[in-house]
This record gives sequence, structure tokens and C-alpha cells, in this order.
Amino acid sequence: MKLILTTMMLLWCLIGIAQQKTVSGTVTSKDLQAPLSGVTVKGAQQTVITDRNGSFIVQANLGEMLIFTYVGMKPDTVTVTANEMPIAVALEYALGDLAEIVVTGYQTQKKADLTGAVSVVKMEDIKSVRVGNPVKSLQGRIPGVDITTNGDPGGGATVRIRGTGTLGNNDPLYVIDGIPTKRGLQEINQDDIESIQVLKDASSASIYGSRSANGVIIVTTKKAKKGVSRIDVNASSTLQYYTSAIDMLNTDQRGEAYWRASVNDGINPNNNQIYQYDWNNDFNNPILKQVILPEFVDAAKTMKPANTNWYDEISQTSVIQNYNVSLTNGGEKGNTFFSLGYLQNKGIVRETQAKKVNARLNTDFNFFDGRLKVGENLNATYANNVLIPTGDVLFTALVQQRIVPVHTVDGGWGGPSAGMTDRHNPVRLIEDNKQNKNYFARIIGNAFADLTIIPNLHFRTSIGADYNSTYARTLQKSYVSGFLVDDANLVQNNQDYDGNLLWQNQLNYTLDLNKNHVDFLLGHESIKFVDQGFFGSRQGYALENIDYSYLDVGTSNINNGGSGSANSLLSYFAKANYSYDSKYLASATIRRDGSSRFGSDNQYGTFPAFSVGWRMSQEEFMKKIPIISDLKLRFSYGHTGNQEIGNYDTYDLYRAIYGTDHVFDRDGGTAYDIEGNDTGTLPSGFVKIQRGNNSLKWETTKEANYGIDFGLFEQRLSGTVEYFVKNTSDILIRPGYLAAIGEGGFQTFNGASMQNKGFEALLTYENEINDELSFSISGNISKYINKVTELPSTVLTAYPGNGTDQVILGHAITSTFGYVADGLFKSQEEVDNSPAQPGKGLGRIRYRDLNGDNVINDRDQAYINDGVPDFVYGLNLNVRWKNFDFSVFFQGMQGIDVSNTYKTFTDFASLWPGSNWGTRTMEAWSPQNTGSTIPALTLNNNNDEGRTSTYFMENGSYLKLRNLQIGYNLKDTFKSIKISNARIFVQGLNLFTIKSKNFTAPDPENPGNGYPLPVMGTIGVDLSF
Amino acid sequence: MMGVSCKNELDLKPQGVVSSDDLNSPENIEKMIISAYSALGNESIVTPNSLWPWGSLRSGDALKGGDGLGDNSGWNDYEQFVTNRPNNTYTDQMWAQLYNGIARANDALARVNTLDETQFSDKVTRQAELRFLRANWYFMLKILYNRVPYIDENDDKDDYIAIANDEYTSDELWTMIAGEFKFAADNLPENQTEIGRVNKYIALAALAKTQLYQAYKQDDNHNVTSIDQSLLQQVIANCDEVIAGGKYGLADDLAENFLTEFENGKESIFAIQYSKGDGTRYGRIDMGHSLSYTLNPEFGCCGFHIPSQDMVNAFKTADNGLPLFDSYNNGDAVQGDDFLKYSFDPRLEHTVAIPGHPFKYSPDYIFAVSWTRAPATYGAFASLKDMVPPNDPSFQRIPPFMSSSKNWELIRYADVLLWKAEALIELGREDEALPLINQLRTRAANSTGRLKKADGTFSSTFKIATYQPGVNCEWTNAYARQALRYERRMELAMEGNRFFDLVRWGIADTYINNYLTTESAKKAYLKTAHFQKNRDEYLPIPLNQINYSLGLYKQNPGY
Repeated sequence: MKLILTTMMLLWCLIGIAQQKTVSGTVTSKDLQAPLSGVTVKGAQQTVITDRNGSFIVQANLGEMLIFTYVGMKPDTVTVTANEMPIAVALEYALGDLAEIVVTGYQTQKKADLTGAVSVVKMEDIKSVRVGNPVKSLQGRIPGVDITTNGDPGGGATVRIRGTGTLGNNDPLYVIDGIPTKRGLQEINQDDIESIQVLKDASSASIYGSRSANGVIIVTTKKAKKGVSRIDVNASSTLQYYTSAIDMLNTDQRGEAYWRASVNDGINPNNNQIYQYDWNNDFNNPILKQVILPEFVDAAKTMKPANTNWYDEISQTSVIQNYNVSLTNGGEKGNTFFSLGYLQNKGIVRETQAKKVNARLNTDFNFFDGRLKVGENLNATYANNVLIPTGDVLFTALVQQRIVPVHTVDGGWGGPSAGMTDRHNPVRLIEDNKQNKNYFARIIGNAFADLTIIPNLHFRTSIGADYNSTYARTLQKSYVSGFLVDDANLVQNNQDYDGNLLWQNQLNYTLDLNKNHVDFLLGHESIKFVDQGFFGSRQGYALENIDYSYLDVGTSNINNGGSGSANSLLSYFAKANYSYDSKYLASATIRRDGSSRFGSDNQYGTFPAFSVGWRMSQEEFMKKIPIISDLKLRFSYGHTGNQEIGNYDTYDLYRAIYGTDHVFDRDGGTAYDIEGNDTGTLPSGFVKIQRGNNSLKWETTKEANYGIDFGLFEQRLSGTVEYFVKNTSDILIRPGYLAAIGEGGFQTFNGASMQNKGFEALLTYENEINDELSFSISGNISKYINKVTELPSTVLTAYPGNGTDQVILGHAITSTFGYVADGLFKSQEEVDNSPAQPGKGLGRIRYRDLNGDNVINDRDQAYINDGVPDFVYGLNLNVRWKNFDFSVFFQGMQGIDVSNTYKTFTDFASLWPGSNWGTRTMEAWSPQNTGSTIPALTLNNNNDEGRTSTYFMENGSYLKLRNLQIGYNLKDTFKSIKISNARIFVQGLNLFTIKSKNFTAPDPENPGNGYPLPVMGTIGVDLSF
Repeated sequence: MMGVSCKNELDLKPQGVVSSDDLNSPENIEKMIISAYSALGNESIVTPNSLWPWGSLRSGDALKGGDGLGDNSGWNDYEQFVTNRPNNTYTDQMWAQLYNGIARANDALARVNTLDETQFSDKVTRQAELRFLRANWYFMLKILYNRVPYIDENDDKDDYIAIANDEYTSDELWTMIAGEFKFAADNLPENQTEIGRVNKYIALAALAKTQLYQAYKQDDNHNVTSIDQSLLQQVIANCDEVIAGGKYGLADDLAENFLTEFENGKESIFAIQYSKGDGTRYGRIDMGHSLSYTLNPEFGCCGFHIPSQDMVNAFKTADNGLPLFDSYNNGDAVQGDDFLKYSFDPRLEHTVAIPGHPFKYSPDYIFAVSWTRAPATYGAFASLKDMVPPNDPSFQRIPPFMSSSKNWELIRYADVLLWKAEALIELGREDEALPLINQLRTRAANSTGRLKKADGTFSSTFKIATYQPGVNCEWTNAYARQALRYERRMELAMEGNRFFDLVRWGIADTYINNYLTTESAKKAYLKTAHFQKNRDEYLPIPLNQINYSLGLYKQNPGY
């Protein structure tokens, strides 16, 4: 501003009184309807730059052309006329995104000026992909960001930026309107999001210091802009289909498989509790004539044999409904954005449901001619989820035998009887839990004040809060279900809350001197986290009705518990960005973080970073090459940290643990009936719960990033290629320990070091054929390799290996250690001539004698799978023709082996003897079916075939059609009623998957019995008034 | 602007926990001792402190049971022997469970040691209690794994990584364990006000047991090479002191050892004190026997720990009321009236639930094949000593399982009599052993009062006699040894001792392989089982622990 005024005055003095006039005006962005600063206004005699408000004043002659240019926008030209009115110019974005304003840590920068690896999500691309968590819709769209999701209606997503960076918590840091959180975006309404940026390299992330080693995802929500008043409404409805059920045996087939297993073992198959067989009784040439079902499955004669398809019983085609309304109002003195969103997601597992209401209010007010801006961002979320134990439901649907009916003859619950696994009837699990819900609320927001002390010097202070609270009241009903019985009911109430308060202060100063542009930032941040919870429970309820089931009316076993913890962070940071003539770019950052989690010796960690960039395309010699519209070389280096350990890991701690849950685990209690009373309150002691480590320090990641951004043909073709080397050292880890140490032997160490190296590339081609037809096609690919580079002996046992000659050093951290399955024994000769292998036999898995000692034992293990894909990729196509829009998005992963744990159920009769088995067992090896690769059925797992081996490692490569969307905008039809936008659309999600034949379960994305990913079809409408 | 740098913002006190230093007051040290005691009952459904999966299951007394071979397949591997691999998770979990107890004892002991008697008048007693508890867990480790790292309260946890399992020989480990029990016996009072605390007699009994095991010297391949006569004499002396103390004796009826209402009776020397209605959700109950319960509607799970046909047949008696040492397997008694066709030692009906017979002393509550889980594989018996009937006040559900707060006796007086008898016989003083064995047979004969059906008759024909040299037997040394070993099986059936007895006597391989030959004709799945001499006497050192020790721990022979 000052610069401009000075320039103006100089001009005023120097230039005479020709036919000149003073021209003033403002430049705005046509799309954003917001002022554009930094636009070059070039006249014949004078060139000026627009100020913060987009205003300019320039001396020009009548009839002269003023040229407005701005990086990344289409230039505009205006002829100076005698008209005294200020000139209003609205610039349009050019192809490409160089002018895009990118939110980096505590600041914004133009994309063209960036020197770190920052990916910007095109919100346009994920518009209308509303699946309950904005992160889910980013899957595959950003190179270097791997997202895995499942179909759970309330579920989150797992995000990995540039590979597995550490052990333990690999989740990135989210920064929502300046508030850092590790809690994902599932409570943020996607339609409230203005932009999402991913800070991938250390130089851009290190401003977030100790919590940034896994990368940072910055989310900025919508704000109203001056002069814009609008109402947006959208609604959509989605149908979800369960398409990935595992093929399990029906009742007769299960009988046949048992018969085959028994005959293979040389045991009379009629020695069993369920099936009888009519067969030729010849073990050498067995022929089954008929499987005979009993009249009743159970001795008490309550269950008739059924053929229950448990997957059909527990699943449903379900509906997601989503409604959003937002109001935007911008004025001279203040701006308001308000939105309300409602999402109801019924899952494909019956009775599962998540309901979510979001409200957002973002406001800001200007005082003292805009020198003081005060505002707030506030998001409140309320959700309730039906607490169906979906993991158990899906597991029991898999393992429950189909001969079990859903109900007994008199309407009670069917369930396992003799000869069956002691697992529940999944339908009962659903029906007996559907009354149980949790109620969740989260408030995340901040209030801020931004004061312009002198022009270009800002002080900003902000107080933020991010709290969430969960309340649940659950009724466990009594039941009889086969031989599983619980005659006691129980009601439990839980109340938990956790969250943090933060205070941020920062000073920003911008300096423009000739062609030099400098931004300074100095800041402070203080965050306090708390986490508290308690529960109460009682038994002895007269009615098993959720309306009755409050704690007060329980009559026995009054029980309660509670706990809490806290931690805090105190940080100082500084950053400077420098650019010379938009050509030479540099940036430096330093952050110093103190954390309550570390001991006094190492409480503070310092995280420096720098980056440089050269926009070659701005050089004169490059400007001569017309096809190159942009070319930038970048390098960055920085340190980031990780502090994801327990709050008190530096301390040696003991705890009074009266008793622990010992249903499946060892009791770890400290109370004892020393007086032999058999009942009543017991004396109780203390037990060690962890070993402290006072020398714990920050885990540090040092990362170098090399990047090229380029644009060709006036940015029609643009792209980015990044290469990074990321070394993580002093990895915080809690290894398993020598059992002789006793309870509480866990100790956190700074342990191994590892390296991730990789590249990412993004290429976009976009073109406007004419006003009616435009398209863009964009592809991304990324690859990384991971290896452990250093391994102190204190943490060696935390990783797969044998602790001595087979250690993970040099292997990927995600490696699997196990046996090599070398096909099946197909002849007695093969069996006889093979190394000693307890349990070997015809049709059994042959394990490879890796150490050549002619004995198969634990020394014959190796690293059999690195768990790292060769590459992952995404491909997006958008076409716009008249009022139609069309987009299609593919995502894939190539060259990865996954452990298909379903195989223990689908391929064996011996590993889960009382459960149902997969239809694959019908094709198992037998002397009559020697071509099979599935081991012979047996009831006796003498060969220990469930051991970790390559038998379970399968090619998990896939290509999925994630999204297909067609929209039509009716705005022309409704022009008369002031509707500026009226788009209707249909879309399909997860429409098809191409996977390797080698992968034997339905979905390589879900090899471990997670909540299945549904196929979804949506119709919706977006309106703007 | 930066005036907020309150340093103490980062000094947060841990919540809901205590530091080690907070626990050095006498009151808190007493609590640390309780914590050590509580480890006696800390177990999981797969790692019972009664040791039945190792002591009964591998001995020919019990079969695994459950749904099939793959149900808790680690136990199937124990039963098959040949497939018992060092990565068996139960082998690792049990190891950890026992060292957890040892760590609690060491922690408390280190604190007690720091106090002087003016601050802590019970110092020596408490030291003795803790050293007893620690030795108890080392004893269990010793009979399960043989060579184990020996750690006491003076070792720093950071140095454990350098303590090898072969630092001491097998015999040295026995000497150290015995030394601890000796210290306890020398320093404990005869009576403690709290019944759950160990006293002098308990320590003497444990010492006698340890010395008996130590007396049978083993070489590095577990062959029994000699029997130490002086140790046998010490066994007798220590047993005599327990007997002479008069504090303990045989219960009138064997049943009393396995009934809630007689807990801590006169035969119960050392028992795990279980409890319920104690402020925990399901009680601190006997989880180690929870899988023994059957599938009748009153229970519902899980049918493990099944008496073998061999075990049941072994209760058969000859017409003279003595065991059928060599011919008991001629003809199987399987259910109902089969048991009227032969004659039996009454201890059968205290040990085994038999189809068609009253369950657990309840005349109207008849055990049936339908209660059992996989009769075609494992037969239709169930184990009785560990179960309580569903209407018992100590019964407790812990869905999907159940168990009871009934105490479990780790040492009972009958065992002391048998140790003494065994030592006497091995010293060639079999005549002195005779009355001890006969005491138990007489008590067994008198233990039929609870076994009647509703109509006052019995489900089995009972016939049992004492050994009467010259009348029904020749009481030679060899005969006495046979009688003693048989008597131990009858008296202590399914209580978790048998396998360790067989290893102590050096007969595990022949005995078990003979058993497998007979039993596998009835239980086809045992056809692949085989006991490998010089290996299967002990469990492998858990693979996990070898890995965690970075290869310091040495694997047992043969694995």
C-alpha cells in the first residue's frame, strides 16, 4: 500500500499535464467474487500492482490499453475512456491452478510460490461423493496418500501419507480451520469444506513440529465473502448393496466336507454329533451315497436342521440419506456462513445405523475500517450410533453352521449344539443389541481476532477448543441360544469425554521491496489435552426393556469404574518466505515444541526446515519457448517429529487393579481372598503397569524432497513429480518383553530407524474445446519403498523375526515372517523323501527347508511378504458438455501381497473344526482329486497349517471403479425463479473391482473380515439460490 | 505476546496411578504382599494354575475334549506330543503367568527387605511368605520346563536379559527352590490368623514335595539315573513334621475336598482362595476349570478335560478289592449299568461324571451323553472334582463360560501321606508305607455316603479293600511301588499331578506310549500321538522367550 502510494506521488510530481488521467478500479476473481491482490496492471507508461483490497490507481492516457495479468489467470485488457467511474475487472482462472491460494501452516501462499510438496484436493472432483467422512472420498486422488476404508456407517478411514512412517500411530495431523487434531474428519460436513491441502514433505509440515511426521491435512471451511448472498441446498439418497459375502458351505455340503475329512483321517465319519452318512465304508475308495440330517440338531429337540444363509440373515440393502442447507451472507461490516447437515447412514449389516447432525457457523466482523477483524468458526456435531457388535456379527455369520436355524421350533433363538463352535447366532446378536446406542457430541471451533497494527503487520490471536463426549447406555439381555446361555442381564452406562483447548498467537509481516517479497511469521501455541471417563453397571433387571433399563432399578452386582489422563504441548515457531520477482523462491521454518510426555531432559524438540524453488519459466530464456507455460524446480529439507506415546511413559508406574476381565484373558488383578471368606470386599494391592524411561525423546523424521512442477501449452497439460527420501530415527516403540520381567514390563524406547523413499507424480490434461464442451483427465501414481536401517537390541523383539539371525534390519517394517508353503505332498514317495516335518502326509502342505538341515522347524522361517505395493494409482476423467457433467474415477493398487485370513476358514476343516467352512473345501486335494492346491481335508491339524506361511499370502492387487457420476444442471430451466444452480445427478460408488485370480476372497481391500465395503448408488440434487 | 511460557504447563502428574516410591510404607508393602498372593489365582481359561492341561492331559488320565481337535488346538498338540512345537501359545502364556507371580513376589520382597523390624514387626514372616510364593512358582516352572532362568529380588530388571535358563543345572535349581521352602518353614509361624496365608506346615509340605522330586536325579536328557537316599529321608522327616503337627488330616469323606461348604477343611493344606460377590463383576473365580463344564442347559459350555477310558477303567477292582494292575482295560465301562457289571473303587464317582449316574452328589440330577460335546471323539465322561452343580452357591457364570469360587487345593493331606509312602518304599521301608496307603483306601471305602441314587442304591458296584500282606497280596518292595503309584493315580486323579509323577519316576515314555496304544483303539485321533523319550518329559522353552532373550535361552533337548 505504502509502496503504491509512494509510487503514485512520484508519478504525480514527475509527469506533466498531458492528456493523462488517473484511472482507479478494483480487480476481483470472477469465480471467488473476492478481491485479488498482486495483479499487475500495465499501462503504456506505468505499471502498478493491486493492493490487498484489489484496488489500483494508475496514470494512463485516454484510449490506452491497460493489461491486467496475474499468474494462473487469463489476462484481461481494458481501454481507458473518459468515463470517470472506477474500472471493475473480474479475472477468470486460466487452465491449471497456479493462482490458487494454498493454505499452508498458519499462512496462505499462491500455488505458484510453493516450494514444498503440497497437494491440493480439487473439491470439485469429490463434490457429491458424500459417504459420511470427507477423507473417504479422497481415496486414490492424491499421489502419496493411501486411504483404506470400510463400510461401517460410523467408521473412520485409515490415512497413510508417504508410507508407514513409524510404528504405533501413523495417522496424519488434521488442522481444521487452524485447530490441530488427530481425530480425523468424520465429524466434519464435507459440504462445509472450502479446501483441503495435504502437506506431504517435512519442509511444509514441520511448522506443525512434533505432530507432523505423518504429514498434515489442512482443512479450511467455507466463509462468506463480501457481496455474496446465497442459499445452497443439496439432498441425496444412496442405496448400499452387500456384494462381497464369502462363499460358505450349505448344510449338505458341510456334511459332505466333514465326511471327506473324516474318511481322509481313516476315522468312521458316523462318529459325529450332527450328520450320519450312507456310504460304502471303504476308506480306500470312499463313495458317499447320502448325507443324512438328524430330525433335530440338539438333544433337547428344539432345533430342526435348517440351511440358514447367515449372510442373507444379517445383511440388507440399505439407505444413506444426506441433506445440507447453507446460508452465505457477506456485507460491508461482516460475513456469515451458516450450515446444517443431516446424514443418516444405515449400514448393510442389519440394524447398524449412524445418524449425524452437523451445524456450522463461521462469522467475521470488521472494525476500524477493516483494521480489526474478529470472528469465529464453530462446528457442532451430534451423532448417534446403534451399537451392533458388527465384528462379532460378521464373524459369526461366517462361522456359524448353516444347519442351525435362526429360531427354535417354539420361537426361541437357534444356536450351536454339540459338534459346533461355541459362537453366537448372529441374528440374535443383532436383535439383542439393536436397542443399544451411543450418543456422541463434538464441538470444534475457535474465536479469533486479527489486528492490522501497521499496514502489512498483523497480529492474530485465536482460542480454540475441540471436545467430544460420548454417552452410552446398553442393555445386555439374558438368552438361551443353543448351548450358549446367559441367564443374567446387565445394564451399563458409560460417559467419556476428551479433547483439548488451545491458544495460538501469531505475528505476520509482509514486505514488498522492489521485486523482493517477504512474509514473516512468528507464533506461539499452547495445547492442553484431557481424557476422562467412567462407567456404572448393574444386574438383576426385572424387565429387559431399554426404557426400563436405568441403573437405579438394577438390583444386583453394582459395579463402576473410571479413569483419566492428560497431556500438554507448548510451542514456538517462526517462518519466513522469500521470493524475488516470482522467480527465486525460498522459505525457512523453525519450531520448538515442548511436550509433557517427555522427561525433563528431553522435554523440548526443535524442528527446522528450509526449501528453495526456481521458477525457470519466468526466466527470459524460457519465455522464448512458447509451449512451456510453467516450470518450477523445488528442493526442500526438514525435520518433523512424533510424540505419539502414552501420556506418562517416562514414569515407572504402579496401579491398584482390583480385578480384570478374565473371560478370555488372564486375570491381572491384585485382590485376594486372604481371609478365606469366599465373598465380600477383598484386600487388594498394587501391581507394576509399566517401566519408565526418563531418557525418552522425540522421534524425528528428516526428509528431503525434490519436486518439479510444469505446465505446457498454456497450462493445458500440467503436472508435478516429487521424489522424497524420508529417514525416521529414534522411533518410539513399546516392544514386547521377556516374560521373566513380569507384569508391567512394557517400556517405551527410542528404537529403530527406517527409511522411506519414493516418488509421486500427478499429470493433468484439461481443455476447453468450446464454450459447451470441456474436459479434464488426470492421473496419479506413487510408489515407495521402506526399509529398516538401524535396529538397537533393546527394540529388536518388537519386530517380526527370531531375535538372532533373522532380524528386520534391511526389510520393510511391514514385513511378515513365516514359512514358505511349497505346494502339497502328492505321493507317498514325496512324503517319505522330504525333510522331517511333524504332521506331514499325503495332501498336506509341504514347508520348505530353508536352512537345509532336513528338519522343518522354527528355523525355517523367512521374511515372506514386505506388505508394500509396487505402486498405487488413480485416474480421473471429467467431461462437461452444455449442462451435463460426467466424471469417472478409477483407483488401484498393484504388486502387493496381502494376508488373506479368510483362508483359515475357507480352506480347512481342521483349523476351525466346529465352524462352517468355505465352498473351497469341496475342491480340496484328495487321492481322487490330485490337481488341487487346497490341502486335503482333515479334522486333525497335526501339520500346524494355520501357521504364518505363504499359503495365506495372496496377490492383493486391484483396480476399482470408485466413482461414476453424471449430472445435469437445470439452471437455465429455472432462470425465472432466481435459481443460479440446479444440478441433479446420479452416481455409483465401488461399481466394480478387478482383482487377481490368485486372491480367493471377494475383496482384496478387505482380506481380514472387516466391515464389508458396499456398492452404492446415489441420486441427488444441488441447488443454489 | 509470548508472556505465556509457564514452564509448569508441561509438568503433568500421572492420573490414577502411583509411583514405586509411594509404595514403601509398611501399610503399602502389606498390600504388595497381597498382590503377590493374588497371583496364585490369576489364571486364564487356557493356563490353569491346577496344571491340568500339563499334568492330567498328558498323562493318560484326561483327554482334551471340547468341540474337536482344533478347539484349543494347543492342548491337542500336548496330547499328541509329536506336534508339540516351541511356538505353542499356551506354553508361552503359562511361562509368562508364572513369572508374573515371581515378579510380584520379588517386588514385594525387595521392599520388605528395606524395612527393619522396628518399623515392620512381621518382617521375617512376610519375607518367608514371599519366598514361599516365589518358590511355589519356580516349582511349577521346574516341572513344566525344567531349565528356567532363576531371578530373585536382588536382580535389576535391566539385567534380566543376561540371566540364562541354563545358568543353573536342574539339580541346582531344585536345591535353590528347596532352600526357599526351607527358609519359609524355618521362619513361618505354625498358625496365621488369615487362612489364606502360608504357614510353617505348608512350607514343610512344599519342601517335602520338592525334595521328593529332587531325589530322582535326572541326566541332561531327562533319564532318571539314581535316587538320592538322604533326600528321601528328609522327605520323610518333613512329612512327619506335618503329620505330627496335627493341624491337618484326612477329611472324613473324600468329597469334602471338592465341595464348597468344606473349603479350608482339615485336609486342605495349601489352596487357592477363590471368591465371588467380591466387588468384581464375575468374582475372582476358578477360571482354570471353567472349560470343564458341560453342555447341558444349566451350564452350556465347553466340555474340556475329559477322563479317558483308561482312567475310568483303572478304577475297576478285582474281587479282592484291590486294583487290576495289569488287566483293568479288559472290557470298557462306558455308561449307565456298565458300572454294575464290574466292581470299582468308589473314588471313581468322585472323579468322573458318567452318563446315567447322578452328577456331583445330586441324586436327582443325572448326567447324560447329551451333556457332552463331542462324545464320538472324546467319549461321554466329564471331570467332577473341578465342577460344582449349577445350584451351588459358589457357581458363577461368566458368559460364555462359567466356573465357581470353590477353592482349589494345590496340596492336600492325602498327597503328604503318599509322598512319605513313596520315600519309604524307595528307601526299602515298604512296610512302613503300607499303613499310609491303607489309610487312603480306608477313607475311600468310607466315602460312598454321597454317592447314592434317589432310590438309595449306587450306580456302580463298589468294592475296595486295604492291602493285607499275606491275605490279598505279597507286600514286596516292587509290589509296594506298584501299589503306591497306582494309589496316587486313584487318589489324585484329574488333579493335575500325574504326568509329573511319571516323569519323576522316569517311566513317562513307556507308560504313556502303552496308554496311547490302548486308548487310540477307542479314540482314533490318538493314533498319531507318540511320546518321544528324552524330549517330551518337558515342554519346550517357548519360542517367543528364546526370541525375546535374543537367543540367550537354550532350547530343551529334542525340540
